[in-house]
Amino acid sequence: MQISDAHEMVKLEKDPNAAFALIIDGKTLTYALEDDLKNKFLSLAVNCASVICCRVSPKQKALVVTRLVKEGTGKTTLAIGDGANDVGMIQEADIGVGISGVEGMQAVMASDFSISQFRFLERLLVVHGHWCYKRIAQMICYFFYKNIAFGLTIFYFEAYTGFSGQSVYDDWYMLLFNVILTSLPVISLGVFEQDVSSEVCLQFPALYQQGPRNLFFDWYRIFGWMGNGLYSSIVIYFLSILIFYNQAFRANGQTADMAAVGTSMFTCIVWTVNLQIVLTMSHFTWIQHLFVWGSIATWYLFLIAYGMCSPVISGNAYRILSEALGPAPIYWAATLLATLSCNLPYLVYIAFQRALNPLDHHVIQEIKYYRKDVEDQHMWKRERSKARQRTKIGFTARVDAKIRQLKRKLQKKVSSLSIQTQP
Amino acid sequence: MNSSSGSAAGPSSGSGDESAPRRNSKRPKYSKFTQQELPACKPILTPKWVISVFTLVGVIFVPIGIAALMASNSVVEIVDRYDTECIPANMIADKVAYIQNDTINKICTRNLTVPKDMDQPIYVYYQLDNFYQNHRRYVKSRNDAQLKDADKANKTSGCDPEKTTKDGSPIVPCGLIAWSLFNDTYNFTLGNQNLSVNKNGISWKSDRDHKFGKDVYPKNFQNGTLRGGANLDPNKSLNEQENLIVWMRTAALPTFRKLYGKIHQDLKANDTIMVTLENNYNTYSFNGKKKLVLSTSSWLGGKNDFLGIAYVTIGGLCFFLATAFTVVYLVKPRKLGDPSYLSWNRNPLGH
Repeated sequence: MQISDAHEMVKLEKDPNAAFALIIDGKTLTYALEDDLKNKFLSLAVNCASVICCRVSPKQKALVVTRLVKEGTGKTTLAIGDGANDVGMIQEADIGVGISGVEGMQAVMASDFSISQFRFLERLLVVHGHWCYKRIAQMICYFFYKNIAFGLTIFYFEAYTGFSGQSVYDDWYMLLFNVILTSLPVISLGVFEQDVSSEVCLQFPALYQQGPRNLFFDWYRIFGWMGNGLYSSIVIYFLSILIFYNQAFRANGQTADMAAVGTSMFTCIVWTVNLQIVLTMSHFTWIQHLFVWGSIATWYLFLIAYGMCSPVISGNAYRILSEALGPAPIYWAATLLATLSCNLPYLVYIAFQRALNPLDHHVIQEIKYYRKDVEDQHMWKRERSKARQRTKIGFTARVDAKIRQLKRKLQKKVSSLSIQTQP
Repeated sequence: MNSSSGSAAGPSSGSGDESAPRRNSKRPKYSKFTQQELPACKPILTPKWVISVFTLVGVIFVPIGIAALMASNSVVEIVDRYDTECIPANMIADKVAYIQNDTINKICTRNLTVPKDMDQPIYVYYQLDNFYQNHRRYVKSRNDAQLKDADKANKTSGCDPEKTTKDGSPIVPCGLIAWSLFNDTYNFTLGNQNLSVNKNGISWKSDRDHKFGKDVYPKNFQNGTLRGGANLDPNKSLNEQENLIVWMRTAALPTFRKLYGKIHQDLKANDTIMVTLENNYNTYSFNGKKKLVLSTSSWLGGKNDFLGIAYVTIGGLCFFLATAFTVVYLVKPRKLGDPSYLSWNRNPLGH
């Protein structure tokens, strides 16, 4: 009955800034969690700004706070605690954060993340959570892209070999593609990428909302990247085939065999895929530079080294770079053309987006780049305050705060008047 | 700098016991790498960059494309399909029987007219259509160890079905690629003067020096009931048999050309060249085509307009994009760093 009364009260409240708090203790909770009352209790609790449960047993913590909320509302839950009695709750929630400290390490051992002080939770979510979301989304989309771009070229070639299963690339190229030649830049993207620095993340909590609203991993983006991979594979494959068609590819009249065409096509893929990740990244440390340009250099070094192995091992790839392809201008011209043609659509897309419909982090990146936050501090402060949602404070607390404020003003006035009347 | 929450709460087990006396602190040592504060450059894609990149690409690509087109246009090429023309009239209905009958004379004469002046060296190619040298079973039907070393003559693994003779002795060189060696021959005369075809130096130098041994001689070659192509001189070592070396470099596409030889003589426009060829090779069983190609070469290679056209197209597209973006930036300028584009300023009612 109490629950239904409270429900009515919440519904009738018109002030959007008013907040309700629900306080319940452990003994009452056992009754509230019975099957017939559970859902009513949950709907009431969800409408309140905060719910305080005291004297709750560990089992109830897991049952209530997490299972009921998780299954009832279907939202992602985070549980944070520091003691052994919080372990059930931490494990039940989607994300469990343990605080290591006074009460021992049990919570830490059971949790997904652990921090040393409660106040670090803000940094965990707003900085690292935001970064991780962006990194993982970009990494997965890029991974699909590069493997589609690579794999589909092999598939297209099958149509030209009578579907016999012959691959246009040497076996070693295919082995090394995902291991050495394109893996390190992705790792550096996934580990080091930052769209905005950590101070800005803390100053603009609204940027964190890009995660819950799933702006960077929706189906449009995934299919967009896959489409980019499909387009790149078509461009690279047909450019290579049509450039090396059947005529001589060098001044001394030799025609290109399968090893030459395959090596040239593979070179285009390595360059395209690595240039694409450079366009995707926005934060370049020396590590990113080393991995990206190093991957490309590794490809050429590998070709030279593989070419120097005995022809029994390297087959038709023997000395292919040093003798056949290196001195041929058509090889370098084909690489340049294919690489830039494949990356052009993405460049156009991001240029358009930044010009006409920039996202929040783009605008903030520009403000930081042009140091407008330093020049125009007023604007920076104003935007920062707008980026925080106003916390709801309950009726009596607000009234109390107002009364305190008025009292302080009055005291100041009285003391200044008394100073004036003194002399 | 937000140094108040200095030691970052990372997804690793935090060990800081931040009690008030600092001397007891278990705070991990600060390093720029672990705190993700490495110095970094964060480039921004500004309108200036966009337009200058597109313009630069256009400025580089269009001249390259024009140079490639000019090179391709300077190449003179004569292509002549002869497999249908060289069948005697009475055998057109049964071409396969014609080609497989060794008693029929396979010599055929063709006349080629030179369209423009051709400067030496003029390269002679044979072009095959619908011949899948890139079929997987065909490509792996060879043994590189056997080709290189005379004492590895017994290594014939992978060469099925052309591995050994009926009594078990190995075929050198084994495999289907060698067995199907092209065996048409061409002789050229200009007026009453014989044009000599230089058949040396047509293969890659590394193949001659390192891949095909100079003490490996053909053995038991084309001994079986089915003859696939040319015979090899058993007294010439493999590294001198350049037609074999060129043939064994399997082509990428079912339509391909291979270098037959070079003519070191200039040809003038409107010259008529008489080609005396032997139409030996059987492409009739699988609807293949045979063509004879004479071509000069440029610094870029043979005649192919595609590279030049592609470069000019992409260069032109980039110029167009540069102007399009200039128009966009003039019509709808967005001041960089303008906070009115932030999402909470654009739609203040809902985030």
